[in-house]
Amino acid sequence: MLVIKGLNAAYDNIRVLKDVSIKVPKGKVVSIIGANGAGKSTLLKAISGLMQIKKGSILYKEKDIVGMTANRIVGLGISQVPEGRQIFAHLSVLDNIHLGAYLYFKRNNRLEITERVHRIYEIFPILETRSKQIAGTLSGGEQQMLAIARALMARPELLLLDEPSMGIAPLVVREIFNVIEMLNESGTTVLLVEQNARAALKVADYSYVLESGEIVMEGLAGELLDNPKVKEVYLGG
Amino acid sequence: MPKLLSAVYTILVINAIKLSAAFCGELCLINSMEKITVTGQIFQYLITGLTVGSIYAMVAVGFNIIYNVTEIINFAQGEFVMLGGLIMVFFYAVVKLPLIVAFPATVILVTLVGILLDRLAIRPIRHPSVLTLIIATIAASILIKGAAMLIWGKDPYDLPAFSGRDAITVFGAVIQPQYFWVIGFLIIVVIALSIFFDRTIIGKAMSACADNPDAASLVGINVQQMILLSFALSAAIGAVAGITITPISLMEYDRGAMLAVKGFGAAILGGLGSFPGAVVGGLIMGTIESLGAGLISSGYKDAFALIVLLVVLFFKPSGIMGSIEISRIKRF
Repeated sequence: MLVIKGLNAAYDNIRVLKDVSIKVPKGKVVSIIGANGAGKSTLLKAISGLMQIKKGSILYKEKDIVGMTANRIVGLGISQVPEGRQIFAHLSVLDNIHLGAYLYFKRNNRLEITERVHRIYEIFPILETRSKQIAGTLSGGEQQMLAIARALMARPELLLLDEPSMGIAPLVVREIFNVIEMLNESGTTVLLVEQNARAALKVADYSYVLESGEIVMEGLAGELLDNPKVKEVYLGG
Repeated sequence: MPKLLSAVYTILVINAIKLSAAFCGELCLINSMEKITVTGQIFQYLITGLTVGSIYAMVAVGFNIIYNVTEIINFAQGEFVMLGGLIMVFFYAVVKLPLIVAFPATVILVTLVGILLDRLAIRPIRHPSVLTLIIATIAASILIKGAAMLIWGKDPYDLPAFSGRDAITVFGAVIQPQYFWVIGFLIIVVIALSIFFDRTIIGKAMSACADNPDAASLVGINVQQMILLSFALSAAIGAVAGITITPISLMEYDRGAMLAVKGFGAAILGGLGSFPGAVVGGLIMGTIESLGAGLISSGYKDAFALIVLLVVLFFKPSGIMGSIEISRIKRF
């Protein structure tokens, strides 16, 4: 579904991604693990159009999306849950969810939108009880749920998740990863970027290890979990 | 509220005091309404204050629209009002269009100026910080003022009142019909905008841009377009304010700056970003100014409202209708 070849990206003159090539097959969960500053977020930003790239190609359904603006890429079915949530803090929870459906928010789509909001409330019941609240006042975990909810409203076929476990209580992390699994079972392809390697490898089918902007290892997630080097560096021995 | 804002107030107040000191030399005219009762006089001041306040409120609303989308304070907002008045004079007196045609033509032309402001002064700035953009609007306002002086000269211009100048007398106060037009337009503008921002997805998308432009583009919002729309909208509202006030107070090239200061004060007083706040703030500023000028001294006209503004901010920094919860989240 998504094929990235020889991707290079840089902030000013600092190269952040060096010839990164990855594949995300349809219907799978692919995870990218790596330490802080390895370039994981940059990779996702390059895909979603927030970051200009220097060289390489990003093919989505065989179509090159390099150079397209972020707001057009969403329309193709790629939806990103950004790092650090980035919800619309001074709008209400429901407004945040509705804005996820911005691209098709029209009167004749009202039914679909209500249905989707309903489905979101089934997945994250806490958001229904908080729907009138200002989003900035939610807890970290609730904000993460809201960010995922907003991304889901955009009818994604490919969901990009950037560090969904960051700064969240372990119990909530488990809940969020359960949701990722569930979404994947219902047909959404997922590209997950995580520092929490154990959680990421458990939920993924296939994984890449990113170090200083380069892919240094790849394999089936189950195999990487048993790989001695991965164990030592990313799973704490 | 951030330190930066308080620095801005200080500058504003110093300027206001300097200005009023200059006015003090002038002899206050002995009030020609001596025959009228005290209540009648106060009523008169109130009516005048509410009218002037409506204009401040419209300027404040303009500030809020752009602020809500970009977190920029657009100091060229007063120039939109000035242009509204003067372009209307051009269409009416030079082109000889009837008022009803000149009105929309003026609004469209000023809206274009707003769009140009965004395209030429705001968008080209690379890696913009909110402060750089604010300074760009100050530069733009100086430029617009200069251009207006070259085009129209330094004389004030008049327009005919929309429905004649036959004043109505109520409780001894003289009310010009134009007052109703001013207040009426304010009501229409505020209701329309409240519906737009609270009920429509485009309105909400505009607020989302202020909150987090990156996240906004991730849900498919074209941020540049929303910013452009905000400048166009607030220019249009500025034009309406300028057109309706000109028959009452005339209009000249350098009126913009003081209107911007008062409108900004009104926006802050009511709570930056809040439309009901802008109306309340504007009406309070106008009324205090009018009562202060009438009852105490007209020399300090510009100082009264700003002093009240400072006092309110001292006790409630987020403004009368502003939410502290929200102002904590904002960057500016």
